[in-house]
Amino acid sequence: MPERVGEPVIAPFGDAALLVTFGDRADPDLTARAGALARLLDERRPASPAVGRAVPAHATVLVPFDPLAMDATAAAELVRHAVGTMTGASGSDAAGDLIDIPVRYGGSDGPDLEEVAERHGLSAADVIDLHAGARYRVLFLGFAPGFAYLGGLPDAIATPRRLSPRERVPAGSVGIAGEQTGVYPLSMPGGWNLIGRTDAVLFDPLRADPALLKPGSAVRFVPAR
Amino acid sequence: MILEALDGGLLTTVQDAGRPDWTHLGVPVGGPADPWALSVANLLAGNDPADAALELTLVGPRLVAREGGVLGLAGADLGARVVGGRRLEAGRSYRIAAGEELAFDGADGAGHGRALRGARAYVALAGGVDAPRVLGSRSTCLPGGFGGLDGRALRAGDQVRSGPSDRRPAADGLVWPIEDDATADAPRAPVTLRALPGAATGIGSLTGATWRVAAAADRVGVRLEGHDLPPDIGGEALTHGLPWGAIQIPPDGHPIILGPDHQTTGGYRVPAVVISADLPLVGQLRPGDEVRFVETDSDTAVRALRDQRDRLAAGAAALLEAAGWDRLAASAGG
Repeated sequence: MPERVGEPVIAPFGDAALLVTFGDRADPDLTARAGALARLLDERRPASPAVGRAVPAHATVLVPFDPLAMDATAAAELVRHAVGTMTGASGSDAAGDLIDIPVRYGGSDGPDLEEVAERHGLSAADVIDLHAGARYRVLFLGFAPGFAYLGGLPDAIATPRRLSPRERVPAGSVGIAGEQTGVYPLSMPGGWNLIGRTDAVLFDPLRADPALLKPGSAVRFVPAR
Repeated sequence: MILEALDGGLLTTVQDAGRPDWTHLGVPVGGPADPWALSVANLLAGNDPADAALELTLVGPRLVAREGGVLGLAGADLGARVVGGRRLEAGRSYRIAAGEELAFDGADGAGHGRALRGARAYVALAGGVDAPRVLGSRSTCLPGGFGGLDGRALRAGDQVRSGPSDRRPAADGLVWPIEDDATADAPRAPVTLRALPGAATGIGSLTGATWRVAAAADRVGVRLEGHDLPPDIGGEALTHGLPWGAIQIPPDGHPIILGPDHQTTGGYRVPAVVISADLPLVGQLRPGDEVRFVETDSDTAVRALRDQRDRLAAGAAALLEAAGWDRLAASAGG
């Protein structure tokens, strides 16, 4: 049981959502708390139909609500009550399958690999070893259908987002942004540094379980050649 | 009713109320860029306000009726007409006969391919658009490539069929009696959007200026240009969930107003959020339009939204009387 951290800040985010903030950094315990609150709020939705689907992230939960059915004060009260009943979730509580993702690193599949390597004074092979050598955990999903934010990127290859996003990134591209790594589930615009590409299907809306990666899943990248 | 596309237009998609229940898997909310106009088109066609209809963008499709029926038109005036025949105005319902061809190629009727006001028109078929439900919605999810017509925009050869449920006897000749905020302004007037403070400071840097809508304006977001913001206003933030209408500032300093297909989470600073009642205005912005922001408070925002809902209900009630429908007023209130 982790040490109890302070109460989250609950603030309106526009007229139809609250942003619940547990902290200002990417931290496994804060992410676990955000995830636990989101699950709790989702469980309570049948009793509070004016509350929408909660969206957890590193240290926050977005809580949409229908402002014509519930005011922001009542929504905040509901969140505060849920926080009060949360048990002490921590990052190490999460358990899930180990999912291997085969990746072709570099070349046209990973056009930013060399740039990432240069930035850190490493060779491309070093970046691949570091990226494929680490175990990752799914923190939350967002950004695109089935896109999982993964914790566990080695600090040595953490790289800021590109200054201006690309208009089109191919599906399956594996990227780095800040301290995160992830796989683009579909072809879309994006600002991550692309280091490789996989053929794994990360999202299929017709599957009973549409997303391959879910919060808690453990993930490993395996060089495909 | 069956409408076959001879030409898909610039970007024609199927939209209903969207997928608000799948945002935790990264699925955009989706739905109409102008929710008001989708509701109006549906009400005119005798549908529920959130039924699936076609959303047309700037240059509409060419459609030939393989089977006739009634449709409701709303939103931007894209110069809708029956080829070789009648002009079709936004805010009305029409009976289209089999064999008639519909064009949406310019508000002046000369084929210039530009709306004079607004960017998006909605065409509702009586009975709704028949498309499979994917993750609970018939909306086209362009970022995910699913929903609507195989997850893509309408193209030549596609057939759009009305849904099986004829909820009300469709009536042509109906006229929507309530003014439409999003397309009511004079074409050249700057659009004023009311905004609330966001998750980062700096709303004051947005409200002082007149912005111009860049060419990159789509269902994901509307990019604005014309000013250089102080460098500390934009940039990276710890990734968090985002509401529709959030104004995101990437490091290059060009604000982006998020639309219905926006990413569910983002890592750029958000100093302001457009109020829900003004989202229809955002959905009707065209490249080149001028935009101003004014800061408001949440009470005003909720009052504006309630007023909008009441006006929709009043319009629905007037149609009910005009067409002799029952159930309509009740369903429009929600």
